[in-house]
Order: sequence, then structure tokens, then C-alpha cells
Amino acid sequence: MKKLTLMAVAVLALSGVLHLASVQLDRAGGATDGNTFYFYNWGDYIDPELLEKFEEETGYRVVYETFDSNEAMYTKVQQGGTAYDLVIPSEYMIDRMIQEDMLMELDHSRIEGMDNLVKDFLDQPFDPGNRYSIPYFWGTLGIVYNETLIDGESLDSWDDLWSPALKESVMLIDGAREVMGLSLQSLGYSLNSTNDQALQEAADKLDGLVPSVKAIVADEIKTYMIQEEASVAVTFSGEAADMMWENEKLHYVLPEEGSNLWFDNMVIPKTAQNPDAAYAFINFMLEPENAAQNADYIGYSTPNEAAMELLPEETISDEQFYPSEETMDRLEVYENLGPEYLGIYNDLFLEFKIQRN
Amino acid sequence: MMEKRSFKWANLYLVFVFLLLYAPIAYLIYYSFNAGGTMNSFTGFTWEHYQAVFEDTRLIRIALDTLKLALSSALAATIIGTFGAIGIYYVKKRRTRNTLLSFNNILLVSPDVIIGASLLILFTMVGFQLGFTSVFLAHIAFSIPIVVLMVLPRLQEMNDSMVTAARDLGANSFQVLSRIILPSITPGILAGYFMAFTYSLDDFAVTFFVTGGGFSTLSVEIYSRARQGVSLEINALSTILFLFALGLVVGYYFIQQGLEKNKRKRTAVKDPTNHEKAVSPR
Repeated sequence: MKKLTLMAVAVLALSGVLHLASVQLDRAGGATDGNTFYFYNWGDYIDPELLEKFEEETGYRVVYETFDSNEAMYTKVQQGGTAYDLVIPSEYMIDRMIQEDMLMELDHSRIEGMDNLVKDFLDQPFDPGNRYSIPYFWGTLGIVYNETLIDGESLDSWDDLWSPALKESVMLIDGAREVMGLSLQSLGYSLNSTNDQALQEAADKLDGLVPSVKAIVADEIKTYMIQEEASVAVTFSGEAADMMWENEKLHYVLPEEGSNLWFDNMVIPKTAQNPDAAYAFINFMLEPENAAQNADYIGYSTPNEAAMELLPEETISDEQFYPSEETMDRLEVYENLGPEYLGIYNDLFLEFKIQRN
Repeated sequence: MMEKRSFKWANLYLVFVFLLLYAPIAYLIYYSFNAGGTMNSFTGFTWEHYQAVFEDTRLIRIALDTLKLALSSALAATIIGTFGAIGIYYVKKRRTRNTLLSFNNILLVSPDVIIGASLLILFTMVGFQLGFTSVFLAHIAFSIPIVVLMVLPRLQEMNDSMVTAARDLGANSFQVLSRIILPSITPGILAGYFMAFTYSLDDFAVTFFVTGGGFSTLSVEIYSRARQGVSLEINALSTILFLFALGLVVGYYFIQQGLEKNKRKRTAVKDPTNHEKAVSPR
């Protein structure tokens, strides 16, 4: 009994010491109550130096947490046990969160620097008038290829993916909207099509893609492409920028039929404890030099026009990441199709996936 | 001759299985020293990934939190679980006892995901903020059945006549518990504590569901980092964790050895009925 009590006390003392140590670490970071800013973002989606700069400038202390999918983020925010002050979801998820009344309406009088943003990226169908969200990054869906394994000249449209030369070499991103969308666009339909016949045609066309597909994967595409285990991949422009940073033989192509235009926007959930800090952060990110620094670090395309002027010339002139206006016109934003058509997209994509095995 | 040969085969098989089990870990540790920055090829030796781990205050904070959580939740679970085991042991009706034990075992074999999801639903329903406390409670919850399972066999091994004798000689319930029952099940309690500790330390699924509010544990953190492409910092961290676990196993071995030795000494000296010990006034 004595021995057991002694051990229990020792364990308690040890946990006490550990607790003090971690509190001490927090203190060193400058934490006090009321000035903590909970920031919930995609993994590796901001330059850490900016977080430090924000802490220095405003006195808030940032608690940075990450998620790896919109759905995971949605679940965490929706179940309510969390107190995130700022979240960065993608556009279709913003649409859904607005509809479910999960977001705080923004007070535009407290936001400075809205006019720095590209007008075309404001007032999008998922959030008319930007009442709930402010653009953070944007991008497209396209094709990455390795110049040593594939002749890049022969690859400038979605249709080229069906080429017999690409047998067993294409990696697709695991997303129903993305894969169905590229098939729809290769046929000249909108990627928001709710025409049953068009959808069936697209699904039939996808059957022909089966021999070309090497794998249907998600985040792993990045590693595979860098390590040259596949020659072609369909992925998002931001991911592509990361890969090209690691492996110079990779190139990104924005297909000529058009593509998806996606946004990741800053929103304040209704459960936020510290909206002041969230506004401070939005304003901080709208400042051109901060947006430019972030875009330079992450490699995604910034929606901040003033920031674009601060970026290196070669970045801005890269048509694949900052496409010309003509190309921009052919880009489409995902619309919320409602559960019925979402289900149809998912089913058709699933049929395609099953065939592969 | 025949016998000798089969013996050799068995050895070979054993070596093969262990190689298979440890090869991935060895591979991971090997590359944690790679200067190349990826797991593609080994280009040179470096400590820089370990340095990066120790410079990352967020990671160190999480490591401290994880340890604190494991130590304290295992303690709470051990206390509750030990009394639970004693309770189950003293249930008179055989059928009730078996039912209770089965309920305990069901919790042990049910998938972590289900436990995690149901705890998340529970916490949300009662409006509980997710954070350290929610993870702490969850870890206690899934550790208790393990402790019960580790303590119960020791109770069954215990000499019941000692308890009867103590009562006979006027010991009250607390004295029986502290002088007879607890000393004889100490090895089981320690084993339960260590099991609960390791379970808490490496749990991912349950923790993943109930973390929030800035609190995170190492396994959850490693998972979210690995999703973004494996950096060798994770290898370094995993190596440290592996060595820590190795240390735990060795430490447990020595504690167990010490207890066995003590026990043998005691039983050798004292009379076989242990009467003296049971009633020795102090």
C-alpha cells in the first residue's frame, strides 16, 4: 500500500512538473487570456514567418491548427466543441456552411484593403457580395507532366489524357467533382452540368480512360510525381507548384477546354470566441506585402492585385498560374448542385473507380 | 539428427519473422539521419532533423502534453480499474460476475473508432468543450478495461484464506484492503498501469475524435504532418518515440524482476501460511 501510494504521488508530481513545463513554454510564447487567436487552416498553408509577424504587430498569440480536408474541418466546426476564430474552407464548403448558418456575417466597415483584391474574384456564386468570406488563395485544376517521360507538346487539353500513349501512366485526384468535371469539359459541357444525358455521356467517356489510369489518389500524388513514379497527374495548381518546386522536370498545363476555378476563403465561424482577432488577421492578410510573401512561400496564386505587383516578374507572367483573361473566361467555379445531383456525380465516379480494379 | 535440423528451421523462422517486424522501423530510423531530405536515397549523415525536432517548441509542447496526459490518465484509470476488479471479484453470483466481466471485455475489443465517435457525440450532447479534459476523460475510459483485465488474475491467485484470517482477527475493511489485498495484487496493478500508459501514449483513433481547442497529442500531430508529405523530422521524432518505448519496456522488466525477487525472498523467510504478515500490528 505504502509503495503504491508513493508511486501514485510520484506520478502525480511528474505530471505536475510536465504541466508546469508546458505552461512555461506557452508563457514564453506570450500567452495570456483573451488575446489568443485560434486559426484553423490547411496543413502547410501559410508562411510561418507571417504568423510570427502577426503576433508581433498585433499582440495576439496564434494557436495554429490544421485540417486535411474540408469535410474534416466541417465536422470539427459543426459539432461545436471548438472555438476557432478563423477558418479557410474551399468555396463549395463555404456555400454549405452559409446554408447551415454556421458562419458569422462580416462587417465590411471593419475590413480594410478589400479594393486590393481582383474584382473578378469577388461576388462569386457561392457567396454573393462576399458577405461571409474573403479570398485567401485561388487556383485551377490541371495536368502535371514530367518532361523526361512525356512529350509535353502533345498534352494541352483534357482530351489528350485519353491518348493511347499514356497507357497506365496517369494519376487522378480522388474527387468525384474533379474527375467527372474534366470528362464533362472534354465533351464541351459545363462542369456544373445537371443534364442527365450529359452526365451519362461523361461517364461513358470516362470508361475509355480506364486503361490510362495508373492510380486514383489524393495527397500522395505530390510525392509520386516528385519521385517520378508516374509521368502525368491531374491535380490542383497549388499542389503542382509545390511539385515543380521540388522537381524541375515537372510542368503544369491548364487544359484548353477550360477548368475548375477554386477558391479558399477566410471565414469566421459562428462559434468564434475572438472575432476581433479574426478581423485583425483578415486585414493583416489583405496587406499587399503579406499576401505577396505568403504567395511566394506557398506557391499558390494570390487574389490580391496589389500583391501581384510585388511578386517576381516570372511568377506573374506564368500563364499557367496567372492565366490570361481569355483563359479565365473558360474557368468555372463549382456550384452547389444539391444532394440529388451530388449523389449522381458520386455514383458515376464510383462506378468508374470500381472498374479500375 | 532429424531433431537438430527442425530446431534450426524454427530458429530461422523466428529470425525471419522478427526481421520482417522490425525492418520498417529500422528503415525509418536509418533515414532519420539522412542529409538528403527525402527517403529516396541516403546521401549523408546528419543530426539536423533531430535538431529541428528540438527547436520546434510546438512539437515539444505537444510531447510534454502527451506525456502528462498518459501519466495522469493511466493513474486515474488504474485506481478506478483496480477497485473495479476487486468489485467484480467479490460479486457472489457467478453469472453476474461473468456478465460484468464480459461487459468489460466488450469495451476492450470494440474498435477505437466507435469508442471515439461515441465519446465525441456524448461530449457534444452535454455541451462539453473539447480540449485536454475531454481527451483525458476519453483516455481514462478506454484504459479502465485493460487495468481490470490485468488486475483480475492476480486477485484470483490471491490466497483467500488470508482475507478470512485477517477478518477473523479483527481487521476492518480498510486494513484488509491495504494490508492484504493491495500488496498481493501489486504486480497486476503495475502491469495495468504500464498497459494503460502505453495505450494512452500511442492512441490515435479515440484522441483524433475528441481533441480540439489547441490541444493535440503526438500521434495526432504526426498524422496531420505526414499527410502533407513525410518530412524527415517525423522520422526523427518517431525514432525518439521508439527509443522511449524501448526504455519503458526495459524499465518495466526491471521493476517486474525486482518485485519477483522481493516476493521470493519474503515467502522463503516467512511461514507458508503467512499468518504473521496478515496480523502483524503496526
